[in-house]
Amino acid sequence: MATTPSNMKGFYRLKKNKSGITKPTSSKKSSLHLVPSLGSDITQLTALISHGSPDLKDYHDNHEELMRQFDMNMAYGPCLGMYRLARWERAQRLGLNPPIGFEGLLKAEKVRSECWWDGRI
Amino acid sequence: MENRVKVLAAAAASCFCFPAMAGMEIDTVENLQRKQSTYKSLDETFEIQNETYRGQQYSQIYFARLHMMRTLLYSLVTHWKPHVPVCTVLGLEEGKECIIVGTLYKHMKLKPCILDEYSKERSAVPLVKHHNFMHPDDHLVLEDESGRVKLGGTVLSPSVYVTGVVVALHGKETGAGDFMVLDVLEAGLAPQIEPQLKSREDKYVVFISGVSAGSSLSNPLQFQLLVDHITGHLGDEKEQGIAAEIVHVVIAGNSVEIPLGLLNGQNLASKDQSRLSEPVQELDISLTQIAAGVPVDIMPGSNDPANFSLPQQPLNRWLFPGSRAYNTFRSCTNPHCFELDGVRILGTSGQNIDDLKKYSEGRDGLEFMERTLKWRHLAPTTPNTLGCYPFTDRDPFLIESCPHVYFVGNQDKYGTRILKGAEGQLVRLISIPKFCNTGMVVVLNLRNLECHTLSFETQFSS
Repeated sequence: MATTPSNMKGFYRLKKNKSGITKPTSSKKSSLHLVPSLGSDITQLTALISHGSPDLKDYHDNHEELMRQFDMNMAYGPCLGMYRLARWERAQRLGLNPPIGFEGLLKAEKVRSECWWDGRI
Repeated sequence: MENRVKVLAAAAASCFCFPAMAGMEIDTVENLQRKQSTYKSLDETFEIQNETYRGQQYSQIYFARLHMMRTLLYSLVTHWKPHVPVCTVLGLEEGKECIIVGTLYKHMKLKPCILDEYSKERSAVPLVKHHNFMHPDDHLVLEDESGRVKLGGTVLSPSVYVTGVVVALHGKETGAGDFMVLDVLEAGLAPQIEPQLKSREDKYVVFISGVSAGSSLSNPLQFQLLVDHITGHLGDEKEQGIAAEIVHVVIAGNSVEIPLGLLNGQNLASKDQSRLSEPVQELDISLTQIAAGVPVDIMPGSNDPANFSLPQQPLNRWLFPGSRAYNTFRSCTNPHCFELDGVRILGTSGQNIDDLKKYSEGRDGLEFMERTLKWRHLAPTTPNTLGCYPFTDRDPFLIESCPHVYFVGNQDKYGTRILKGAEGQLVRLISIPKFCNTGMVVVLNLRNLECHTLSFETQFSS
């Protein structure tokens, strides 16, 4: 078109809107080092970032850490394919004296009911 | 004279009627009461309805088995060799005598392995022998959670043991890294509970297996003769009196044989569909007659329409529309454990012993049965070579209380023996032959645990 009618100017946006997506400003420079690029060894980036800071906790509180130790402890047998509570009860029944606090934790559902490897293998 | 007609009732007490033969009128009716016994089923541990499969592997059941047996063996070891230290496989020191407890694994050269199909070199070994996979080069290995060690020496014979047995071994580690076995301790017979009320009268239990209804080998007349005898329709008063002392009937597996040609996975024509259900219908007719008169337990076997892996679940009651109307009809698991008048009876349809025969050597079926009792495990080869459900919390085949009667069905021939335990336990071992081949059933007297057979023949010899 040789000439554009003036009322078409608003129709076809010729300039980018400033209210749209913008490049990260300098205030977010601190998170730039987390961008997966040459020299960076952080993978699966987006999953780890929430609320602007890396969320590395991921169920990783003290109780879950204890339960992971319970899962990994060979004395109580294999952990795959069993609910943690069932494994605790089996250990109890076989006389292996598993820590009593774990039963409370599992029944109060403060930790995952499946073992650490469940769904990952 | 009273004219009384009695209907054969479905209750546990059933009566025989026979009219007095003199005269055409039915003027007196004498009733023979069938004896009764108290029945208690102990099959709960073999039921898998409450089990959920959560992706577990067989390591769970092996762990449960090892732990339960090891706790038991540790307690026995203190009396066996009190001065020898106990250690784990990883804790073995060369030259130091000690006791280790673990699960045996038998490395068998001829054991069929799925990987052989993929091996590049096709060796000259021909078709696999079906009856026995033993080889002189077989050797035993002992495993626990910490590790495994190859077993040497002549005390432990690989021809006797199979994978899955938990034992305690006394010996020492050699320079080559093997464990030289000096002595072996098996768990031995479990403790036995004496029946509280010992029956003072003769009460008989009839054991049948391998009826194979629908097979070309089976003779329906033979089975009908048996049914007639049990229900009192055969013979004179004396014979009926004997039959009235039968309090229970146990059918130990392989009651039907569905024509193999129908089971190849192809769509069935309508005429073939009726052929599929005929054997079960034929069996139901006979079972209804038995159930009408006496409590009967039916167990699934390897050929029956039940699940493949042990413990086999009870045959679906809807397969038996006639018999299920009676409360005397019970469909049971395989293995089956129950108590009659306090006498504990445990048995299987034969898969456990048949598997032992393939992977070890023994004089006869009774010797294998004795070994399973001494190892305190009904089927030690599960889940290695015999299919079994991957239990996580327990191993239901562990024998916790020694039975008074231990039976195995579908064997080649009849055999029976009394096994004596170290603590005074007495077990009657019964090997039940296949009925379709031999026409024989086994009759056990609950009072003194004596056994005899009943044979049914249909050939008329001149």
